[in-house]
Amino acid sequence: MQTKRMSRREFLLLAGAASGAVVLAACGQPTTQPTAAPTAKPGDTKVEPTAAPPAAEKVKIEFLGEPGGTEWREEEKAKFEGENSNIEWIQVEQAEGVSRLEQLLSLVAAGTPPDCARVESDVYRTFCKDKLLLSLDNYIASDAEMSKPDYWIQPQEKDRCSYEGQWYGIGACWVAPHFYYNRSLFEELGVEPPSNDPDEAWDWEKFLDVARELTVDANGKHPNDSGFDVDRVERWGVYWPTWWIPLHAAVQSNGVDWVDPETQQIVLDKPEAMEALQRIADLTLVHHVAPTAASFDALGMGEAEFLETKKVALYNTGSWSVNWLWEIEGGLGTGVLPKMTRPATDMQAHLITIVKDTKHPDEAWKLIRFLSLPWFQERYCKNALWLPSQTALMTDTAIANWCTPPEHPEGYDLIVTEYTAKYGHYLTMPVGYAKANETALTPVFDQIWIGDAKVADVLPAAVEEANRIMKEEQAR
Amino acid sequence: MSANTQRLKLPLLRTEKGRRTITGYLFILPFILGFLIWFLLPAAVAVWLTFYDWNMIRDPIFIGLENFKEIFRDKLFLQSLKVTAYYTLVSVPVSLVLSFLVAMLLNSKVRGISVFRTIFYIPSIVPAVANAVLWNFVFNTEFGLINMVLRALGLPKVMWLQKPEWAMPALILMSLWGLGGGVVIYLAGLQGIPETLYEAAEIDGAGRWAKLRYVTVPLISPVMFFNLIMGIIGSFQVFTAGFLITAGGPQNATLFYVLYTYRTGIQYFDMGYAAVLAWILFFIILGLTLFVFKYVGRLVHYETI
Repeated sequence: MQTKRMSRREFLLLAGAASGAVVLAACGQPTTQPTAAPTAKPGDTKVEPTAAPPAAEKVKIEFLGEPGGTEWREEEKAKFEGENSNIEWIQVEQAEGVSRLEQLLSLVAAGTPPDCARVESDVYRTFCKDKLLLSLDNYIASDAEMSKPDYWIQPQEKDRCSYEGQWYGIGACWVAPHFYYNRSLFEELGVEPPSNDPDEAWDWEKFLDVARELTVDANGKHPNDSGFDVDRVERWGVYWPTWWIPLHAAVQSNGVDWVDPETQQIVLDKPEAMEALQRIADLTLVHHVAPTAASFDALGMGEAEFLETKKVALYNTGSWSVNWLWEIEGGLGTGVLPKMTRPATDMQAHLITIVKDTKHPDEAWKLIRFLSLPWFQERYCKNALWLPSQTALMTDTAIANWCTPPEHPEGYDLIVTEYTAKYGHYLTMPVGYAKANETALTPVFDQIWIGDAKVADVLPAAVEEANRIMKEEQAR
Repeated sequence: MSANTQRLKLPLLRTEKGRRTITGYLFILPFILGFLIWFLLPAAVAVWLTFYDWNMIRDPIFIGLENFKEIFRDKLFLQSLKVTAYYTLVSVPVSLVLSFLVAMLLNSKVRGISVFRTIFYIPSIVPAVANAVLWNFVFNTEFGLINMVLRALGLPKVMWLQKPEWAMPALILMSLWGLGGGVVIYLAGLQGIPETLYEAAEIDGAGRWAKLRYVTVPLISPVMFFNLIMGIIGSFQVFTAGFLITAGGPQNATLFYVLYTYRTGIQYFDMGYAAVLAWILFFIILGLTLFVFKYVGRLVHYETI
């Protein structure tokens, strides 16, 4: 019998062809063409009606990222699906070992994006520019509740959501940095803690005096005492992290912006901004009332441990931490940050969005709308993870309902109504900000925080470079 | 078997040799498919991407050689190369020598040696994140183990992970903690050297040093060469330490090449330029490996024992 050998080349070709076919099949576009919002503006997305599904078939709406928390997920899902019997809310869990951003980009690149996604503020505008997201303007305009001018706390919500005049997302909530302290420590020392009322915010000198009084080394000496040993500090007066949220609060409290909302340029080279940043650096380098933030962050200890062990007297972190700090031994106290020229804090939070290529924009909107209602937001305000972004939760009655003990310390309502809402500032991150920040600003900040350079000597050039990078990215 | 069935069979299946060939290929098919799908195809796509601006959101835009020109303007490209070269030049030789010395010790015939071997090997299987948390503590400026010791000795604290001049030595020190993998390979090599050669050397009057110099080192040199090649390749692919511990800082002092490539692709949404960076890395590693094979390979002593 005559036999014919398959050559290696033939075999490899066959295997390559087979695997190529598998890959091509996997990478193929979905057979159904996506439609867009029925009322989107020309030039943005095509206006086509959404195909109505058969009566018995539920429309599956995928949401990537955590819109709130996991503890009430089933209840939330049941309520939403009960109110929208034709929609099934599919929560896409974050894959192990990848970031949410990586997962979203991979799904988009693969042609299988989720219908809705949680998007962080640093990439939101980049996604808007590249038309990944669906404009929500027409949905909001035609919604009886959300079209009201006072539905959200303004102008912060508009600052956060609008890109070139349109909204492509809605903020999930607000969070804002403020001080935390262990009440028992201040009682022991007889020191007056910071107030929750921004009208009573300490000025910078008063704050430094208190921080010096609270800072103590192993010999019981304070930073102004002779022989104070900065290498053996037993308790730091303050911890002011050096990432953008607490820094933005400092810059705003000196009366200026981080990014100019009009020009969309980084303006940290303004003298007031540089002064504010230098003051933060000097807490560690000159006044010795704060530890090196990077080494504190790297330690992996939580805020609760620092406050309970009384290693830090005043801890500056976001409002979300009330969610777990309220239980600390000794009792939790909160207070507004000190003012340089005015009381100020930062306001941030992720946005919830609809991916433009969703096949079911109307149903996706229903989910986004559900997640933007007071019913949904209030539960996370009540458990002290969020601050409200909706005015319905800012009335006296509403606050009395959610801003309650034991989670919320006494007087915390002032942080909500007076401090955050009136003195909070949103930091707009323009297209290309992430790259500009990491490549131009971060290395310079690294120098500043350890005292290798003064802010005024190195920041102006870095800001110029950062703005150049953003301009390049915006032109891509 | 009917004639029809016989006709349906591939000609190759009609002989024993043919059947064995097919069986052999079937066994290696998972690897071949994996290689084609997960390596060759993405690599080919990466070549294509080098000519495009693609941010994973919108369609790729053809930009010709712009991504290649960017190499000459990009300061961070040079910085990441410098950082990686520094790491390679220091960590690879130190790791090679140290793991050889440890393997020599662990090759001793002492009671409980297997316990020591286990202890030295365990760090190399500690998950990367756990490793990062641990070393973050060890190097912590305020509360770290090393600074505690320095303080006890009356020495000033060192800002290990905040000062650019200390960050890389810290990461190299950390990498040495995981030299257990190399040690095991050395140990296997050492245990393959026949006792008779040492006995013969002793009869010829060789002392400890002479036995090491003229018996152990020549016979272990293929293992050393293997560890050298793998060490160079591995050092150019370091990512985790820079990503988890220092985030490329301070002042880009630990911006490893692969970390920069990752940032470019994922965080800066520039997959085209990231593809260029990836291909440059491929050619750097290829060039170095060929160089080492040519100039170091000739020093390796191969002997059939």
